[in-house]
Amino acid sequence: MLSKNLCKSIAAGAIVLGLGFSLAYAAADDQIKARQAEMKANGKAIGALVAIMKGEAPYDAAVVKASLDAMAAGDAAAAEAHAWDASSMEGATIETWAKPEIWAEGSDIGAKYQAWVDARAALAATTDEASFKAAFPALGAACQSCHEKFRRPKG
Amino acid sequence: MGSLALLAVLGFTAFWLLSAPKPLPASAISAHSSNIANGEVLYTAGGCRNCHKPGAEQAGLDPNLPSGGFPLKTPIGILYPPNLTPDPQTGIGNWSDLDFVNAVQRGISKSGQHLIPAFPYTSYAAMPVGDVLDIKAYLMSLPPVASPRREADIPIAFLLRRGLGLWKFVGLDTTPWQPDAGQTPSWNRGSYLVNGPGHCGECHTPRNLIMASDNSRFLMGGAHPEGKGKVPSLHGLVETKRYKDQKDLVLAFQNGEVFGYENMSSGGMGQVQANMAKLPQADVEAIAEYLISLK
Repeated sequence: MLSKNLCKSIAAGAIVLGLGFSLAYAAADDQIKARQAEMKANGKAIGALVAIMKGEAPYDAAVVKASLDAMAAGDAAAAEAHAWDASSMEGATIETWAKPEIWAEGSDIGAKYQAWVDARAALAATTDEASFKAAFPALGAACQSCHEKFRRPKG
Repeated sequence: MGSLALLAVLGFTAFWLLSAPKPLPASAISAHSSNIANGEVLYTAGGCRNCHKPGAEQAGLDPNLPSGGFPLKTPIGILYPPNLTPDPQTGIGNWSDLDFVNAVQRGISKSGQHLIPAFPYTSYAAMPVGDVLDIKAYLMSLPPVASPRREADIPIAFLLRRGLGLWKFVGLDTTPWQPDAGQTPSWNRGSYLVNGPGHCGECHTPRNLIMASDNSRFLMGGAHPEGKGKVPSLHGLVETKRYKDQKDLVLAFQNGEVFGYENMSSGGMGQVQANMAKLPQADVEAIAEYLISLK
């Protein structure tokens, strides 16, 4: 027979442990939400650039700058929310399509992130349609190389 | 006891007879003058190199040649697709036309064993033999690479392979692809590329309980072959607002995420898109025309 006190401490311990887990998972939910918001904002910002690339909209330095600024702001907000910490690997109530390989040892996510930062810097230096069209594919390729490797199919 | 043993022997004999590979006869190959350019287009549409490329650890081998060895993870184990270059010892240099057609269209190896249908002969079976021979002619025009075959890491591979003979009764439809006279030539070209060499249905068509394609739900989306997630349906691409029109889909195939088409780059579609970008303009337009006609 376990003593009454021992039972109580086990129960209390379990509650504290459980609470700890749910807090960690709730935090992961917020991190995942921040990450998804970042991606959504990037997608929106890129849309304006793709329109120039496809010739649907004229080259406009102000539009390019606004898009790049939005991406930089998205990065900053995501960093603030720890959206890319390993603790965000799995959510409590929301699903993530980010593959755990992102946080595995030897992962080249850092290099891929740098390619995205560099591509944005190169775009920021463009001055006309020709230089823009030469620089833009590197940005799309940076998105693609990360999505291809680190995003699992939805559903 | 005796009757049980007899039953087991009978059962095994029946299994052995029914599961025997059924290769095409020599008469299936008629005189053919090869068109290497056509072979290259079909090789690209089929994405042969995506699975038959060398593995990352095979340093020094040209990754642009299909010398085989890249580990292909499947639900039943890891396969190492073989060398398709004309090296006589380790590649297809010594293969006859019949050997090649039996492998590509019936899933039977040169040594007469069933091939695991991760190799999509189930789609290639619909191709005219001439097109398959053109692919062989293209492969034979590549530089030979010596890269020995690596056996698959599959538990009970021997029985499983033999058992595929039974699976093929249901899983391998050898009906040739047929054009639809009511459609345009370009629609039919797209239908052919999607159904035959492109083998889109291998992932985009759901599979039934015995892992055969459920063609009553052709291209309606399936489970992802790597186990997690889904492969989207290709019906209603315009109606569901995934693409504006045929032109939009063509741009997506040719540029992928470089033009912001972000759905083209997860789950392995990025490699497929990279191949499509290399196809002739008319073929990409044909594929798009066919796909957006699927409501």
